[in-house]
Amino acid sequence: MFDYLANPTRFMRIADFLFWPLALLAGGLIAAGLYFGLLDSPPDYQQGDTVRIMYVHVPAAWLATLGYVALGLCGLFYVVWRHPLADIALRAMAPAGAMFAFLTLVTGAFWGKPMWGAWWVWDARLTSMLILFFFYLGVIALANGFDQPERGSRPAALLALVGLVNVPIVKFSVDWWNTLHQPASLLRSGGVSIDQTMLVPLLLMLAGMHLYFAVIVILRMRALLAERRITSLLLRQAASGSRS
Amino acid sequence: MTPFELQLRRDLSLGWAGRGDMLVVLGFFLIIITLFPLALGPDPVQLRIISVPVIWVAAMLASLAGFTRIFADDVRCGWVDQVALSPMPLPVYALAKAVGHWVLSALPIIVATPLMALLLNLGPGQLVPMMLALVLGTAALTLLGVIGAALTEGARGGGGLMALLVLPPAMPVLIFGALASTPEDGRVITPHLMLLGAVLAVLLAIAPFITAAALAESESENGG
Repeated sequence: MFDYLANPTRFMRIADFLFWPLALLAGGLIAAGLYFGLLDSPPDYQQGDTVRIMYVHVPAAWLATLGYVALGLCGLFYVVWRHPLADIALRAMAPAGAMFAFLTLVTGAFWGKPMWGAWWVWDARLTSMLILFFFYLGVIALANGFDQPERGSRPAALLALVGLVNVPIVKFSVDWWNTLHQPASLLRSGGVSIDQTMLVPLLLMLAGMHLYFAVIVILRMRALLAERRITSLLLRQAASGSRS
Repeated sequence: MTPFELQLRRDLSLGWAGRGDMLVVLGFFLIIITLFPLALGPDPVQLRIISVPVIWVAAMLASLAGFTRIFADDVRCGWVDQVALSPMPLPVYALAKAVGHWVLSALPIIVATPLMALLLNLGPGQLVPMMLALVLGTAALTLLGVIGAALTEGARGGGGLMALLVLPPAMPVLIFGALASTPEDGRVITPHLMLLGAVLAVLLAIAPFITAAALAESESENGG
């Protein structure tokens, strides 16, 4: 399957075909999730209305960590098989993932102020998410840090790969260390520990925002591929121009 | 003499020839330390509280300043190309560079630490565990710095980029190092020191190979 998708032209065709259905589905799911989450679900008996921040915070946190796993896999594909599309995907994903990591930290701060009484605490999970955000910034800076853009590809891929060690720390920090951040309530042994009225909007938002992530990545990959094509066209034009 | 020893000897004699650079790193270390009493005020009690973290952060920043140049001269004069053609494996070269850089820039920092401890009124009995932790910590940091130097070789704006790359993975070193420097029961060998040693052992195993992978890339693209 990877060989089949490896051809950039074929990938572009499939991505073009999928783009609008994915975008519409993402928009619909997020709209429904926001409706149920903000208007048609009960406030929490302890947290009141601030619990609604969760409907953005949890999907963003999932995407920040999952996005980094995807980034690391792209790095692996690029380092081992030198796949040009893996490089494009890595460059497309890094800013999207960084945005979700930032969104996680910001929404967490908005929730933390009324609930914990502080915008920020140096808690294991918050700190490891912050470090994940730094890793995203490092990958972005390294990928764009060279005068010839292609030279940044392999360093960025290697860094993305190295940063993977932080992902399990983020995921399990709430189980390993007794921290202020509450433990997982969806993916945990013993089943989901969340009421159905809140579970429905959360699942809608999770599905919608994952599709939204895919939409951003496709959009950025198309732009990056087009940019490469323009550059090579200009180079070819300049070469033929100098010959005549 | 093995290729490792040859490479190390070359780096050390080159470093000794330019020993002014060593003094610059030491000066930077001293200046960072000096800034804190100026900002905080000269109260010895308060200075004692911040002494361990400040010395650690200053040692990390002073080391960071030296990382950008590790491979620059070797790449420019074609030494890395020659190593790639020679029978010496690139990871061996990377390890020799790391050892040489540690001797040239981290060892002076460790030697100067008692003076900094005096300036910041470090608690009695903390100097020995701190210096021991600094030996392991700076070694781990140097291995990360060698990776960072290889990744950023040829990049624009080295300094800030280097900080962004090297400091996030260096945070465990800082955490365990600072904890090992303040043992509660007065023992020198603490669990935190052992964890710091574990971090160093892992880096010692993987860093030469990551560095070699990054160097092979910049070497092939420069030569091509």
